Order: sequence, then C-alpha cells, then structure tokens
Amino acid sequence: MAGVMIGIEVHCQLNTESKLFCSNSNDMRNKKPNESVCPICLGYPGSKPVINKHAIELGMRIGLALDCKIADSMFFSRKTYFYPDMSKSYQITQYEVPLATEGYLTVGDTKIRIRRVHIEEDPAKLMHVGGDITNAEYVLIDYNRSGVALAEIVTEPDFTTPKQVHQFLDNLLSILEHLGVYDSSKEATLRCDANISLDGGERVEVKNITGFENVEKALNFEIIRQNGMKRMEVKVERETRHFDSDSNTTKSLRKKEYEEDYGYIFDPDLPVIKISKEWVSSIKKNMPELPDQRVKRFVKQYALDEYTASVLIYADKNLADFYEECCRNYNKPQTVANWMMNYLLKSLNWRSERIKNSKVRVGTFVELLTLIENGTITERYAKELIKEYVDTGISPKELMKKSSSGKIDLDAVVKKVLEENKKAVDEYRSGKQEALKFLLGRVLVATNKQADPKLINEALLKQLGASIAQ
Amino acid sequence: MVPLIQSLVKKHLERLAAEDVNLDDFAPKVIEKAKALQERFSPFITINEKLASENMPRHVMKLPFSVKDNICTRGIRTTAGSKILEPYVPPFDATCIHQIKNAGGFVVGKTMMDEFGFGTFATNCAYGAPKNPIDPTRVCGGSSGGAACVAAAAEFPHIAIAQSTGGSITAPAAFTGTVGITPTYGRVSRWGLIDYANSMDRIGAIGKCVYDAALGLSIISGYDPMDSTSLNAPKTDYTALLGSEIKHLRVGVPVEYFGADVDESIKRNALDMIKGLESFGVTWEEVSLPSTKYAISAYYLIAMSEASTNLAKFCGLRYGMEGPLDGNYEQYFAQLRGKYFGEEAKRRIILGTYARMSGYRDAYYLKALKVRAKIIGEFRKAFGRVGVIATPSMPIIAPRFDEVKKLTPVENYAMDRMTVPSNLAGLPTISVPSGTSSGMPTGIQFIGNYEQEGTLVAVAGACEQV
Ligand SMILES: [Zn+2]
Repeated sequence: MAGVMIGIEVHCQLNTESKLFCSNSNDMRNKKPNESVCPICLGYPGSKPVINKHAIELGMRIGLALDCKIADSMFFSRKTYFYPDMSKSYQITQYEVPLATEGYLTVGDTKIRIRRVHIEEDPAKLMHVGGDITNAEYVLIDYNRSGVALAEIVTEPDFTTPKQVHQFLDNLLSILEHLGVYDSSKEATLRCDANISLDGGERVEVKNITGFENVEKALNFEIIRQNGMKRMEVKVERETRHFDSDSNTTKSLRKKEYEEDYGYIFDPDLPVIKISKEWVSSIKKNMPELPDQRVKRFVKQYALDEYTASVLIYADKNLADFYEECCRNYNKPQTVANWMMNYLLKSLNWRSERIKNSKVRVGTFVELLTLIENGTITERYAKELIKEYVDTGISPKELMKKSSSGKIDLDAVVKKVLEENKKAVDEYRSGKQEALKFLLGRVLVATNKQADPKLINEALLKQLGASIAQ
Repeated sequence: MVPLIQSLVKKHLERLAAEDVNLDDFAPKVIEKAKALQERFSPFITINEKLASENMPRHVMKLPFSVKDNICTRGIRTTAGSKILEPYVPPFDATCIHQIKNAGGFVVGKTMMDEFGFGTFATNCAYGAPKNPIDPTRVCGGSSGGAACVAAAAEFPHIAIAQSTGGSITAPAAFTGTVGITPTYGRVSRWGLIDYANSMDRIGAIGKCVYDAALGLSIISGYDPMDSTSLNAPKTDYTALLGSEIKHLRVGVPVEYFGADVDESIKRNALDMIKGLESFGVTWEEVSLPSTKYAISAYYLIAMSEASTNLAKFCGLRYGMEGPLDGNYEQYFAQLRGKYFGEEAKRRIILGTYARMSGYRDAYYLKALKVRAKIIGEFRKAFGRVGVIATPSMPIIAPRFDEVKKLTPVENYAMDRMTVPSNLAGLPTISVPSGTSSGMPTGIQFIGNYEQEGTLVAVAGACEQV
C-alpha cells in the first residue's frame, strides 16, 4: 500500500480517584446517568476548576514510557466550541505547550513517532436516540463522564497500514495498563481518532472510533473509498468522518470549510504549574515495570518462550498478573502457561470477557491444575470442565461433585454395568481378557466418555475381584 | 484624632457587643428599609424577603450586607444582571458568602449591575438602573452601581460586597461619594463569582466610610483551595490599620493620569487631597507610567476574549432560561442567546471571539497580554520609588442618564482609563471622596503594591481627616 499515511490520536481515560478538576469519582461502575456530577463538571456559573495533580503525574508516566521530553511547566487553555457534550462550551485542554513531546513507540520494526501527550478533560457522553450522530431524533446527555481526566496521545503520520495501527494500539494499551494509568475494569475507555491520506492527498479524519478492531476496519474502508474516488478521478476533500460500526463504513460529518476555529485562550482560572527536575525524576524512579521489560523477565524467570510471554503480557496486563499469581501458588510455570494459553484464554475470548471482570480466580484455577496433576481428573475432562468453570466460577471440585462423571459416581456406574453384563463378567472370570475391554467400553459409554479409562480399569478390577471373593 | 465620618457599622457593632440590638426584629426592619430604598433608587435586583418571614433564625443575623448579583447565593436568585439567568437560584454559596455568614452577617439583597459586569455606568442591566442618591437624574457608575447606591443611601449599618474587573468598584464609589476597596488579585476567593474576565475579576467592598469597606474586606478575604488563583496569605483585620502611621509614605503622582482628558476640578480635588496629606508627614513626587495609553485597548481585548469564553456556557441547558425545543442544538442555543443576552453582552462576545480567532489571535489577544506584562513592569518599577500611587478615580463626575445614552461604545470604554491599568496588574486600590464638583462627589484613587491593602486603608483613613 504505497503512499498511505496514517496518524492517530488516542484518548485514554486516566485512572485517577477523582475527575480532573473536581472531586467527583472517576469510577463509572454501577453509576446511574448524571450521578457523579457537581457544579464544576456541570459548568455551573461561579464554579472554578481545581487541578488534580495525580492526573499530571499519570501523564508524565505516559510521556516517560514513550521516551518523550517532559515540559518544564504546564498550563491549560480553553478550546471553545458549541456542542451539547461540553458543559462549559469550552474544553480545558493543553494547546501551545503539551506536557510531553517528541517520543516514539516501536511496532515490529517500525518506529512510530509520538508528537505529543497532553492532559485534558473528557466531555459528557451523548446517547443518540433514534439514529446515529448524523440522524438521531434527539440526544441524551450523561455528565458522569464530563471532566474525567484524559491523556491525549498524538502520533506523527508514520503508519503505512491499518494493521500496524492495530498492533500499535495493542502495545500502547498494554503499556498504559502496566503504567497503572488506565484501568478498563473501571469502565474507563480508550478512544481513537485516525487521520489518513493517500499519495499525498488531502487528509481525512475519522473521529471517535471505539475498539481497535474498528480502527482497523475504518481505515481499511477509507483506503478502499479513497482509492475508488481516485480511480473515478474524484478529488478527495479534507473532511471529518464518523465510523458506523453497524455497517463498517465511514460517513461524512463536516467538510473543511466548516472546520471549527477553537479560539484558544489561556485558562485564567488555572495558574502555571512548575514541573521541576526533581518531580520528573521521582516519577521516573517509581515507574512500574513496562511490558518489554516484563517479557524479558518472563523468559528468564519462568523459562517461557518469547511468544508465549508476549501473548500473556500484551493480550491483557491482568492476564500476566494472573499468570504470575498462579505461578506463586503452583510451581509449574510451563503447565500454567500451557493451560492459560490453550484453554483459559479461549474460554474467556469465547465469552468476550477480560480476566479481571471474569469469575476466574487464582485459587480455583490452581485447584484445577492440581486435580489434573493428581490424576483425579483426566486432561480431557479438565478441558470440558474449564468452560463451565469460566462460565460459573464454581470451583472445579464442586463442579466434579455435581457432574455425573465424578469419581464418587464411578463405582456405582461400574456396579450397574457389571450387573447388566453378567455374560461378559463370566467370560472374564473364565480368563477372557477381551471381556474386560468390553466392560471398560460399556462404562465409558455410560459416563458419556467423561471418566478416565485408567480409573475405570481400577474400579472394574476392584469390583470384579470382590465378586470373585463372593 | 477624631474621624470626621462616624461609621454606622462601627456604632452598630458596639451596640451588638453591649447586647443593645433587638435581633428579633433587626433583620426584618432592615428588609423594610431596603424596600424603601428600592422605591427611591432601585439598587436591588432581588431583595431577600425570606429574611422577614417568621421562621428564620434571627439571632445569627447581626450585620446587613448587600451582595452584587454576580456572586452566587444559595437559595437566593443570582442573575449577574442578565435576562439569561433570570430564574437561576444557585445550589451553593460563594466562599465570601460563607465568610459573611460565619461572621454573623446576612444578605439583604442582590444589587443591580451591568449585565455580567459589562459597563461603566450600571445602565446595561436587564432589570433597570440604580439612580444616584445624590442626584437621581445621574447614574451611580458601574458595574457595581447597586452596591455603591445602597452604601451611599442606606440609613442602616451595611457593607456592600462589590466586584471589579476593570474598575467596577472605584467608578461607582467615586460617583456616589463612598469608599470602595479593590484588593490584590487573589486576596478574596472567586469561588462562586460568575466570571467576566477571570484573570482580573476581584471581589471587594464598598462602604460609607473607610472603616466599613475595610471591615468588609477583612471578613471576605483569605486563602481558599476552591479558587486555584487564591492568594495564600494570612487573614488580616484591616480596620486595625486605620489611623496607623503614614509619616514616611511617599505618594507617586503619575503624569499620565492628570492629562487634559480629566475634568479640571477632579484633578484639583485630587492634588489638594495629596497636599492635604502632607500634614501627616506624607511626601509626594511625580512618577511616569508611559504604557498607560495602551491599557484600555489591552484591557478590552483580554477582558472580551475571556468573557466570550465565559458566556459560551449560557445556552439554555441545565440552568437559566430555556426556550422551546425547536430545530437542532445550534438553532436552539442561537435563538436563546439572541433573545436573552443584552446588546453589550453580544458586542463583547463578538469582539472577544474575533480577538482570539486564529489569524487574529497573535495581533490582538497575545499582543494584549504582552502590553499587560509591560504595564505590570512599569508599576513594579514605580513601586521601587513610592509606597502608593494616587490618581483621580474617574475622569468625570457621575453623568446624567441622557448623557450616557449619547456615548459611543469607544467613548464609553475610554471612561475606564483611570482604573483599567491597576486592574490589568491585579494591584489593590482604594477610592475615597476627594471633594465635590458641581455638587457631585469626586474621588481619589490610591493604587498600592501587591498585598499592601493595609497601607491603602491607612492613607484613605487619613484622607477622611483632611
Ligand atoms: Zn464534578
């Protein structure tokens, strides 16, 4: 795809206790609409913003993790626009001098330059009723999101394929989670705007795409659309488009001549904040382990191959945390990795669930692995059991008790099979070894092939021996 | 030394201390008197009539305050002089209202002002204009016109809480013969103040005499974490500084403030007052503030730029006036704002938006900020030589309503030339009566260095004895 240039802006809701300029909670779990609001985030007359310093520190962590330069002071600007999601009709953001600049993140072999990282407030959430943004009947506003701290991460237009963008976002997400600046389990979101141009043509921006799959889809659609226009010799215009996830297409929102002039001024309610070298170095000193460092450590500490380590770490930071916690309780890192990669992840993905919000717990998962190791259950049975376990969170031992193929029931099944197959029993007693195989097969069928043949064999021999003694 | 002016407030406090005030009917009686004032001069947008009702806890209501209507009062309508906020009852008190209540004060009413503070004469209000108690054909000055009107006319002990962005305390104080104190930027919390231009907005006090204004400031000042620009300085009782020594004080007289564009009698009254202070051991010298001539342009560019963003939030959602839900969002707020903003508000929104648009931002908004820095630099330099700077408060005496009507916007803006520079710099000022001209009061304004309100109170107190 020669000539494709893509740049992105990522809006990450920061994992602070409270919003950027007021004391309302950032945690959106179990919140009714417009519950977490106050005069500041509702933009009431007379209210004033007070900066949450923690948000600045989280922003600094992002900047440092992306190898950026950190500014020596920071201040905020007002970006004025009339839209119902913005309670003050201006957004408090950073304009002239962002918190961090000139960094990079490597994806595969490509260095993607980071232009800037800055802090700003999130607008309220809009619900378009009876249509989408282009044709809704009316709009509902939820100000819970209004004033939530955001970090905006802007790249240079260094991507050449939508796939690369997807990889970048996966890597970035893992970094943000490892930094502790982003916590999806609190219903925080990552939103993406992408701009794309073909062969040096006009830049088209696709706004507010949720989900990394959708970013890739939106960009692929744009490449097809813009190539089609070129073939038909229609000029691509500079415009802002919206991604419709139902049809996987983009729709025009506004042309360039309608691009807004935001009329930035310095926000006079918020004084300049000095960022001393000492402050930056204290943040640096307390930086959490980053994904790349963690992959290396996993390879060394758990003797995993790099691929396995990368999947565990980049798929979801909590998965890697879960892995380590399991290893602390069950000292077979290879087995843990194997069962996580091959079965647990599949079950979670099938339910489109992330581990932190699932019912899976370290204790019960380790219990499962122990049952397998002891031979209490077969691997094949365990593979069946894990689905039910992920669905219900019920401990594997409990599940076994409930199940018809549990060990406790096996003796009863064997007894029944022996009673029903007197002929085969007699044949076995007369020395026909094939008869034992036949009986084993009957028991296996009776347990829906759930029971371990080894265990059936033991049970058969025990009961047949007992009958001999009679 | 015996002050020539007896403070009603001071006398009232002495009676309160002696338990000589019947608090059961004090507040209701004050409300009745406020209503009588309203009949004559209409200084109020809202009178707090609830206070006169039976079940209010009267024992805590000891000292009456009037409050400019851009300061939020919980449960009392707050309009900022604008139609667009006509039904607005704030859910919270401004910090200064907390402080007033904690000090045993109560809110008599919300005073008339130019819409959002946009005016020099208190004639741009959606709810009428206060009349000057000395000559009701004349204006009170603005934008804190109602505040000065009550301070001048009240026959009950009272302090007016006022607010200045470009001179809105000094102007009405001078026009009504009252004392207006505008503190250092950040001295009084802006939490709860409906913004005009946040980088200059200051809450202050107007009283019949220096004691009243100084007491008002003492009550409402202090650090507040809810205002990020709040000054982290200890609370001071400024009344204690009344009558303190000013023997070695050097007064700077800036030539730029005594030009041909100022009424002769006003200049003469100011210079006479400065000479009168010589008997207290004060000396004076000429100083120069050469960038003064750019102050008006810089002030209006910055103030309008900030104001145009502040007013963006009033769009008929969440609070204030609402309209019929016709058309799309843009049509809705456009018709609503068109209907309920006054002419001057619209003018400032348009000019302010223009000044910060890309392409003009460098030439107007950013350049104005540079001029502002220069003006601050010149003040700092002057305060290296003198303790306070003295200027006429206003270039004219209070004009008649019909005279104000004839002014073009530019002539109108130019009236702020005495007050705008110190407001750009955030320096404290006090305006005290300096005499009369054609039967109307004239004022002298003292500009102090940062956090030197105490010196201003002392020198203004001396003026009362000249
Ligand atoms: Zn809030």
